[in-house]
Amino acid sequence: MSKKTTKVHVELTRRDVLTVAVAAAGSAIIAPLITSGPFSPFGGLKQEQLTGAKPQATKHPTGEYHWGMVINLDTCIGCEYCLRACSATNDVATDRPWNIVVADKTSSGQPFFFSRPCLHCQNAPCVEVCPVRATYHREDGLVVMDYDRCIGCRYCEVACPYDARKFNWAQRYDTNPYIPTYGIPEVPRRPRGVVEKCTFCIQRIDAALERGQKPGIDREATPACVNICPVGARTFGNLNDPNSQVSQMIANNSTIQLRSELGTEASVYYIPPKEGL
Amino acid sequence: MASIPLEHPAQGKPARIKPGLVAWFGLIGLCLVIGLAAAYDVFSKGLTVTAMSDAVPWGLWITIDLSAIALGAGAFTLSAVVYLFGLKRFQSIIRLAVYVGFIGYSAALLTLVMDIGRPDRFWHPWVYWNVHSVLWEITWCITIYLTIMAFEFMPVLADAKFFRRWPWFGKLAHSLHTLAPALALLGLAISLLHQSSLGATYGIVKARPIWFKPSMPIMFILSAVAVGPAVTMAIAFVIEWITGKATIAHEVLRAIARFSGIALLAYGYIKIWDFAALTYYGQSPAVVKALSFLDQQTPYNFTFWIVEVLGGIIIPAIFFLSNRFNKNPALLVLGTGMAVIGIIMNRWNVTVSGLFVRVAFSPGTQFTLQPVSYFPNLPEWGIAIGILGYAMLMLTVGVIFLPLFPKEPENS
Repeated sequence: MSKKTTKVHVELTRRDVLTVAVAAAGSAIIAPLITSGPFSPFGGLKQEQLTGAKPQATKHPTGEYHWGMVINLDTCIGCEYCLRACSATNDVATDRPWNIVVADKTSSGQPFFFSRPCLHCQNAPCVEVCPVRATYHREDGLVVMDYDRCIGCRYCEVACPYDARKFNWAQRYDTNPYIPTYGIPEVPRRPRGVVEKCTFCIQRIDAALERGQKPGIDREATPACVNICPVGARTFGNLNDPNSQVSQMIANNSTIQLRSELGTEASVYYIPPKEGL
Repeated sequence: MASIPLEHPAQGKPARIKPGLVAWFGLIGLCLVIGLAAAYDVFSKGLTVTAMSDAVPWGLWITIDLSAIALGAGAFTLSAVVYLFGLKRFQSIIRLAVYVGFIGYSAALLTLVMDIGRPDRFWHPWVYWNVHSVLWEITWCITIYLTIMAFEFMPVLADAKFFRRWPWFGKLAHSLHTLAPALALLGLAISLLHQSSLGATYGIVKARPIWFKPSMPIMFILSAVAVGPAVTMAIAFVIEWITGKATIAHEVLRAIARFSGIALLAYGYIKIWDFAALTYYGQSPAVVKALSFLDQQTPYNFTFWIVEVLGGIIIPAIFFLSNRFNKNPALLVLGTGMAVIGIIMNRWNVTVSGLFVRVAFSPGTQFTLQPVSYFPNLPEWGIAIGILGYAMLMLTVGVIFLPLFPKEPENS
């Protein structure tokens, strides 16, 4: 290490510019060759395998069942019983309900009530974004959570187009005012730091199927919000069975899915008010 | 701290403990105490102590994550410049760039651990894979890249006096040195992936009108490539002012400033086109509604045009590129400071402003969820101050104990 001073020229020379330009151009040529060209490992795939969204959407309910719901906005009276029964049965915090009921107006000014559980999208944004697969699709199309795996990053809350997810900001010590009037808790409270959501009461569906009962027909096998509705605005059943009540209602009424333009393929269908929306 | 004789390894002379240094460590200590107190509050009571809610589930901490990772981008940019493009004259700043990058990324990981609801499960993304998730990919990339930077930095540690007591470490570290080009290539690939994926985190969310666009990843990576190297440059100048020792040739630093200036202009160009696409020919009713809501309820317009575009892109680019200004180190540091503020503002505008616009999904026309407001509260600022203290501590310790600069002062 001599003590002599080093003279440094730092100007971008033509050579440097050329080096960088050639490197950039080279990458631009090589990139398509190795991703979609003859050297690509994906070369053998067909186009529809590469652009996945649509085929995936029909894939999800791989089993015999695809549980779905029809909500009739024309008959709903806004009593909030669905919210309360859900809150009691699943022991949900009353200020952060899984089911919401709100007053709304059609474009002609006619008031109606709008309610919303989780829509159990077949192309669910929350399932796609979860970094640990804590949210997943079951074979019967339901979107459920593994509360032991969730890390609480809240990306699913950000990604859900329907605001259907709630985070446990603190350990819960509240007493649920809807117990026991509207139901008895069937699942434990979720711990602090995880996201939670509506499950269509899978605890009922799974147990009932083992007993040979039919969800949507037998009350013990049907979600609490559907059972309690005093005007029968909610119907639950198997969308895969063309003879089920839900399939019949969808076939015989004009129904809509919320934000269907996003391609989420929700499992909940709405019958709009008679006056139209 | 005061009892430890401080030595500058490059010079071999014990540095005297000056009151200024003691005061500086006092300030860092204060920041760390505030951070630890806030961390205790968050860990004991949960995220309920923050101002975040189900409506705005991401806030200041995510802004810090994104900013810290973008500001650490000097490491991969300059490594690629030296080891892949072969511009060896920038070799002298590599050590500092990698160190600054390491600080930025580790600061981001620290903030992330605070931000997730179950810090005890931070390791889940490595065990339970969801390869469709951008966030999963980012977690992997950041951890891998942190490891790469640790490897890149090992020769520097081996040069430090403290580590000379284990000769095997030095041998191992210096054999890693031959891997530098391979590490730079891997680092470049991984960084290009996750820096842009951070933008994709928002760009793929089809539920949110002003996020869902393909330009997000491009703007994120361009802004990181522009500001990352400038941060390294500014830190080199500041270290030179404080220690009074020539560190890196000013010509090298000026060249980096010019590079940042050009990259800032490229970023600005894409940003203007993105603005045009969002508000003019690519607009949708949802976007129009969202932007007019932001204009009415938040200082979004001011922060976008004045802080992000004018203060964060145009003025720094003039300082960096004009020969009249870029001979003056003070203006280069000032320009970097403004660009950094612009980046932080941009990440805030993406994260929090995007969340302010509530999703509307009712089939009717009247009902939308109530607009919410969010401003970080005391525990959140406390964590932010603690993270800042961590970064200052790492930087100070590095400057005092590690040979971050070439042994020959090149600037005489």
